[in-house]
Amino acid sequence: MRLSVLSGLLILGAAQSVNAASIYAGEAKAAAVCSQCHGIRMPSADAPFPPLAGRDMDYLKTALKQYRDKTRKSDIMNAIAGSLSDDDIGNVAAYYAKLKQ
Amino acid sequence: MLITKNRLPKSILIGLASLILPLGAQATSDTSKNMHQLYEDNCASCHGSDHGGFIAPGLNADSLKGRSPTALRSLIMTGSFDTLMPPFYGRLSDDEIRGLVKHLQTTPKQANPAWTIDDIKSSIKVYVKDESTLPAKPTYQINSMDDVIGVAARGKYGRGSGSKAVFINSVTHKQIGEIPTGTAAHIIDYNPANPRWAYVKTDTAEIFKVDLYSMQAVRSVKTGFNGPGLGVSRDGKYIMAGSYVPHNAVILDADTLEPLKTFELEGVDPDGKMVSSDSGMIIGTPFADIFAIALENAGQVWVVDLKEGFPVTKIEKVGRHLHDAFLSHGGSKLMVASYDDSIVTAIDLKDRKIIKKLEAGCVPHVGGGSVVEVDGRTLGFGTNFGDCDKMVVSVWDLDKMEVVKQVPVSGGTESPAAHANAPYVAVDIISKDRRARTIQLIDKKTLEVVKTLDVGGHAYFPEYSADGKFLYVSAGYSGDEVVVYDSSSLQKVASVQMESPAGIFSHGRVRYMTRGLSSDEMKGAK
Repeated sequence: MRLSVLSGLLILGAAQSVNAASIYAGEAKAAAVCSQCHGIRMPSADAPFPPLAGRDMDYLKTALKQYRDKTRKSDIMNAIAGSLSDDDIGNVAAYYAKLKQ
Repeated sequence: MLITKNRLPKSILIGLASLILPLGAQATSDTSKNMHQLYEDNCASCHGSDHGGFIAPGLNADSLKGRSPTALRSLIMTGSFDTLMPPFYGRLSDDEIRGLVKHLQTTPKQANPAWTIDDIKSSIKVYVKDESTLPAKPTYQINSMDDVIGVAARGKYGRGSGSKAVFINSVTHKQIGEIPTGTAAHIIDYNPANPRWAYVKTDTAEIFKVDLYSMQAVRSVKTGFNGPGLGVSRDGKYIMAGSYVPHNAVILDADTLEPLKTFELEGVDPDGKMVSSDSGMIIGTPFADIFAIALENAGQVWVVDLKEGFPVTKIEKVGRHLHDAFLSHGGSKLMVASYDDSIVTAIDLKDRKIIKKLEAGCVPHVGGGSVVEVDGRTLGFGTNFGDCDKMVVSVWDLDKMEVVKQVPVSGGTESPAAHANAPYVAVDIISKDRRARTIQLIDKKTLEVVKTLDVGGHAYFPEYSADGKFLYVSAGYSGDEVVVYDSSSLQKVASVQMESPAGIFSHGRVRYMTRGLSSDEMKGAK
C-alpha cells in the first residue's frame, strides 16, 4: 500500500518533470505569439491558418521544432518559431493541447 | 511563396485558393487603380478611405515617409501584435503586399470624396419589404427587451464572416441572434420609443436597421465611407449619422432610413482657423427633441432641433479635437471630451452654453461615459488614453461641476461602466502590454481601485446588464470571447465566443441613458 502510493508519487513527479510545462506560461506565450494568426480556440473563419486547440502535444512540439530548425519550411513560421526557446515550445504545445475547440 | 500550403487542411486550401485567385488575377496588371481597389477592399475600413487614418493610422506618402518597405511588408504579412492589425499572410499574395507598400508610400492623403444625399438615398437596401409580416413579439424566450445586450464583433479582418452584431440574453448569457454586417460593427443603438428596433453602424458607415424580435436586418443604408457617429432621437423617429470620410452628417428617417438632410461639417476652430471637420459623437437625449453632434476638428458642438428645416445652434470653442461624450441630469447636461486640451467640457443643452471645463487626465476618451449617484452626489467617471505619466480615472461631481478625485489606475483607459445596483465602476486598461488583458474595478464609495481582473485578449468596453447583476467585458483582438462576471463577487460566470469583440451595448441604456444612472433619473427628464 505504502509502496504503491510512493511509486504513484514517483510517477507523478517524473511525469511533471518530464513535462515541466506550464500551461500558464503557455497561455501567455500563445496569446502573445500564436493567437494573432491561429486564434485561441479557433482561427477566424476567414483566415487560412489551421486551428491549434486540442491538437496532439507531441505533434505541436515536433512541428514547432522543425519550423525552428528550418527542416520544415515556411517564411513566416521559421521566423516566429525561431524566437521560441525549448521551454516556450513545451509550454505553448501543452497549453494548446489542453484547450477544447 | 505559400510553402506551408500542402500542409493545410483541404477545406482551408480551397478557401485560400478562392480568396487568392481573383485577387491575384486583379493584381497582375500592377496599376495603381488595382492597388487602390485592393486598399479599399482590405485596409480602408480601418485606415480611412482617404488614406488619412480612422481607427488605425493614416497610410500615405507623408505618414509612411522614411519607413522601410521591407519592414512594412512584414508588418502587413504578420499583422501587428497588441493591435487590431491582422496578418494578411495567405490572404494577399506577396506581389500584392509589395505592390500595396509601394502604392501607400507614393499616394498622398486623398481629397474628401463626395457622398451626397442622392448617394445615400440610392444606397438603401430593403431586406424585408413588408414589415407588417414581422412577428409581434420576440421569437425567443426573454423577460424584458432591456435584458438584450448587443456586441459589436469586428471579425479578425475587420470584414468577412466574423463581422457581425451579436445579441445576447444577459440573464442566461446565451446568444439569441446575430446580424452579419459585412464589415466591422462599431456602434449599436436602440430605439427608445419601440424596443424592437436596433441600429448597427459599421466602420464603413453602413447602418443596419435590425428587428430584434425576429433577429434580422430589415434595411440598410450607407451614410459615408468611414465614421462611427450614430444617435437616435427620443421619439424614435430620427437617426443621425456622422462621418470621418466625407466630412458630413445626415439625419435619416428612423423607419425608412431615407436621408432627410445632410450637414457639411466645418467651422472656426478654437484657434480661429476655419476647418473642415470629422464627425465625433452624435447623441439623442431624453431631455428634448434634439441631436447634439461634436465636430472633432472644429472644436464645436452643434445642437440640431428636430423641427422644420432642422435648424442648428453652434456652440464654439468647446475644446481642441473633440471626440465622445455622455449625458447627465435628465439629459440636459452634455459632457464632451477634448483630446488635445485633456478636458471634459460640460454643456447645458437647455441654454446651449458651456457650463465649465473640467480636468480629465491625459487625452480623455470617455467611451459612453458613466454617471452614478453615490451618497446623494451625482458622480461622473471619465476614462482617458493616459499618454502621460499621470494614469488616472477622473471622478467629477456633476451637480457642482467640479473634480472630486483623480483615481490612480494601472494604465490608459478607454471606457468606464457603472450601474446603480453594482458596487464597482469598471474601467478597461488599454496600455499596450500585459495590462491590456485586464480591467480594474473602482469601489464607487471609497473611489479606490479594489480589484484587477485578467480577462484575456485585449480587454475593453465593459458594460453592465440592465439589472446590474452581471458585468460583460470584451476579450478583444485575438481573445475572441465576451467574458461575463458576477458584478458583486467578480467571479467569471460565462463566456460567449465571437471573433474580435469590441463595443458592448445594453438595451437597458435607453432607460438609464448613460451607464450607471437609474431609471429614476429618466423620470426627471419628462
